[in-house]
Amino acid sequence: MTIATERKSGLLLDPQFMARLDQLDIMSRKLLTGKMKGERRSKRRGQSVEFADYRNYTIGDDLRFIDWNIYARLDKLFLKLFLEEEDLSLYLLCDVSKSCDFGNPNKALYIKQVAAALSYIGLVNYNRVNVVAMADGIVAETGGMRGRRRVPQMIDFISKLEPSGESHFADACKRFALAHRQKGVCVVLSDFFIKDGFEHGLKYVASGKYDLFCVQTLSPQEIEPDLQGDLKLKDIEDSDMAEVSITQPLMKQYKANLNAYCLALKDYVTRRGGTYLFSSTAVPFDTLVLNYLRERGLLG
Amino acid sequence: MAWFPKFLNIWPAIAAAAIAIPALLVLYFLKLKRREMPVSSTLLWKKAIQDLQVNAPFQKLRRNLLLLLQMLLLILLLLALSRPITNYKPGAGKTSVLLIDRSASMAAKDCNGHSRLDEAKKRAKDFVSTMDRHASAMVIAFDDRAEAVQQFTEDVNKLKQAIDGIQQTDRLTKLKLAYQLAEAQIAYIPEQNRPNQPLPDVWIYSDGRVSDAQDLSIRANLNYDMIGTPEAGNIAVVALSAKRNYENPTKVQVFARLADYGPKPITAQVQLSVGIPNTDHPEQDDFTVRSIADVSLMPERWTDEQRDKAEKEQGLQRKDSVEFNIDLATAATLKVEQMHKDGDALADDDVAQVVVPPPKPLSVLLVTDGNWFMERLLNAPSLKLKNPQVMSPSSYEAKVPTDFDVIIFDRGYFPKKLPPAGNFIYLGSVGPGLKIKPVQENGKNVILEENSVLDWRREHPILRGLSLGKIGIARSLKLDVPTDSEILVDGVKGPLMVLHREGRSTHLILAFDILDTDWPNGRPSFPVFWYNALQFLAVGSDLDIRQSLEPGATPRIPRANLLRAGGDLKQIKLIGPEGTTNVPVLPTGDFALPALEKVGVYSTDPPIPQFERIAVNMLDPNESNVAPIEHAPGNPTIVSASTTGQKSRLELWWWIVACAALPLLLIEWWVYTRRVHL
Repeated sequence: MTIATERKSGLLLDPQFMARLDQLDIMSRKLLTGKMKGERRSKRRGQSVEFADYRNYTIGDDLRFIDWNIYARLDKLFLKLFLEEEDLSLYLLCDVSKSCDFGNPNKALYIKQVAAALSYIGLVNYNRVNVVAMADGIVAETGGMRGRRRVPQMIDFISKLEPSGESHFADACKRFALAHRQKGVCVVLSDFFIKDGFEHGLKYVASGKYDLFCVQTLSPQEIEPDLQGDLKLKDIEDSDMAEVSITQPLMKQYKANLNAYCLALKDYVTRRGGTYLFSSTAVPFDTLVLNYLRERGLLG
Repeated sequence: MAWFPKFLNIWPAIAAAAIAIPALLVLYFLKLKRREMPVSSTLLWKKAIQDLQVNAPFQKLRRNLLLLLQMLLLILLLLALSRPITNYKPGAGKTSVLLIDRSASMAAKDCNGHSRLDEAKKRAKDFVSTMDRHASAMVIAFDDRAEAVQQFTEDVNKLKQAIDGIQQTDRLTKLKLAYQLAEAQIAYIPEQNRPNQPLPDVWIYSDGRVSDAQDLSIRANLNYDMIGTPEAGNIAVVALSAKRNYENPTKVQVFARLADYGPKPITAQVQLSVGIPNTDHPEQDDFTVRSIADVSLMPERWTDEQRDKAEKEQGLQRKDSVEFNIDLATAATLKVEQMHKDGDALADDDVAQVVVPPPKPLSVLLVTDGNWFMERLLNAPSLKLKNPQVMSPSSYEAKVPTDFDVIIFDRGYFPKKLPPAGNFIYLGSVGPGLKIKPVQENGKNVILEENSVLDWRREHPILRGLSLGKIGIARSLKLDVPTDSEILVDGVKGPLMVLHREGRSTHLILAFDILDTDWPNGRPSFPVFWYNALQFLAVGSDLDIRQSLEPGATPRIPRANLLRAGGDLKQIKLIGPEGTTNVPVLPTGDFALPALEKVGVYSTDPPIPQFERIAVNMLDPNESNVAPIEHAPGNPTIVSASTTGQKSRLELWWWIVACAALPLLLIEWWVYTRRVHL
């Protein structure tokens, strides 16, 4: 399905699938502090019903939280602490550079579908969802959205994203990290074909404040190129040319290089505490969302 | 274009280039038309290409910079294949001998307006400048002599001064003496006598025109530097003769032959001038032009086929000799000069001169008791003798006259005295005190009866054209002939006619009295013999045209001529092209003038009979031939360093490979590995 057909149908998520997504929630391996009260357990101590700990009473503490039973037994004042529940920030960094407008199924559409699914889950579970479109910088951003009623607005925003321009991944990541200091789950959806190196960008989002998930999306034509003969390969992003004569050794070398590239990305991400997930657009995106992302712990 | 290298192997290189360069270009022109295919990113493809490039050499062909570098590399290698060489002149070796030609032909001005000698000096000085600190060299200047102008020395300035001091001469070229001198000088170097010592270098700076090329050999490392250009033109007078008509002595016939040693056929004018001694300065001549003739010359270097072709196709008619007939009642100097001076490299051979004495009949004395045949013969008008006199033996004995050109002793009269110098003819007798004498037995001369002519010297001027075979001789003297005498007529029983020279006299001895033979009786050979004999004996006398001498000649003046000029001469003034020289005269014996070095006319003061004026002409085809020879004289294997550079060439291919191709290969490799354009 191309972007044009998708726009005609107007559907990134169908209702049945959305109903299945209702069962899921965004999971974070880290206990992160939120911004507002929410449904997510926070590192902060707060006023939920779930007991967390005791501590010595100090003057000025609220007397309502003194454990009088302990006082009766030990003749000392202890204060009962409870876990705080806050919301979770979910950042979806979608690569909408021109290189993603490639493949069948189209990589950009796939990325948008995954982003739509994740943002739906996030919104439904009262998480703060922020979709950031990256190409030669940050080209569009939803800002933090919460609640189910924001779903149509979010889906509309995502569906209107159009792949264009070159990829300045490092610049976009830097700007994102500077602008979003709130901790949260950061999901990067891209093909990661970045000529000046993915490392320069990922270093900004692989810091401790984000729980990083990198979903590398490639089309079947990139994984198993069906090319023959003497070709002039044109980079759709920057119009760069590469003249090749497709031979068995060249194909073998290409696949080896692709494999090595993906492994290098995975290695980079996992070393920094993130999670890497490879996906071909040939894999239905609902399978990716419902199975793979659950398996990797992003959804639960 | 002397700087431009030559190529020893040019044609194979051109053939290789004709194949290799188009082939390389075709590889580029046949570059595949590639289908354009969009991909999401070329990132991984280019990585794959780069990884495979080592195994895919034709991928390189896509880069024009690489094509350029490869093309340059290929051209350089092809250039190296053609074995370019240049005229690299190696420096002087440890021991060098410089032989510098200063002969007449080196005066040719065909080296950018300078003479060949100047050019030779310049090259020799350049060579000397390349000498190492401990190298030594010597300089020999040669023409038909050889002169060591500088012995072996390590002092470059001395060598240069010696080279500068070499003066041009008009002499011929002979190299053998120079070789001998060089070998002798080399032998003095102690190092050269050690075993396994490298041979010394001998450098010849010459145009290669030497007259003794066949006799040359030298034990040295011979090098030859050709001086001069083959395009030099030169028209030369190569032969000149003049003679008075014996029947009409005021008529003078002049023959001259000219030759064109340039590359083109030429029509030239030849001018005959007559020089009469100046009244105020008798040693100088005032010339007036008497006749002009044309010659049409073809280059001497042309083959017969080329000449025939020129005659047929261009209508050229070869006329290389001229004849002038003039009336000349006085002594004069005749000058023949070719007037085509434009492009003529050598001036000395444009002129040839000959000295003509005044017509003077021969004076003859017949000493006889009476001989009708001889008296009638001497009075014959055809001999044009000056007042022939007859004298009896007794009168002769009493007087012994010295003022006759020829004295004939007739009828077996043995004279008891002879003048100190002169020409004598004996008929049946021999002069006193000579080495040649009649054979005697018992104090009497041996007489041979019934002798007859066995053979005679047919080519001798006296007997030329004569038939003597049938002469019958009743009685003849038996002669004891010394080995240095010439037997002109041999008889069955002994020599019949002998030409004997002794002292300053010439004796023609006939062993028989002509009245004892049938020779005078109507045989035509009799008057012809006397005519020839008198003319032959007059050679060198005043009747003859003076011989012209070659440059460097040292004419020998007989004492008799000195005596005739003045009895007690202490010195002679010799006036010539070089100026005036005073030559002391020895009190006794003959006298030799110093070498007459320059072409021109020399005169003596006081005038010495027969040597008042002496013409010195080049008249040498070898010197006039200005086309230089490309190989060393007498050794065709040694080619001039200045023409082919064979001996001193430097092959450049190694330099091309080392200095250009290899760095280019490195640059190419760097460009290839840089992968800028991939």
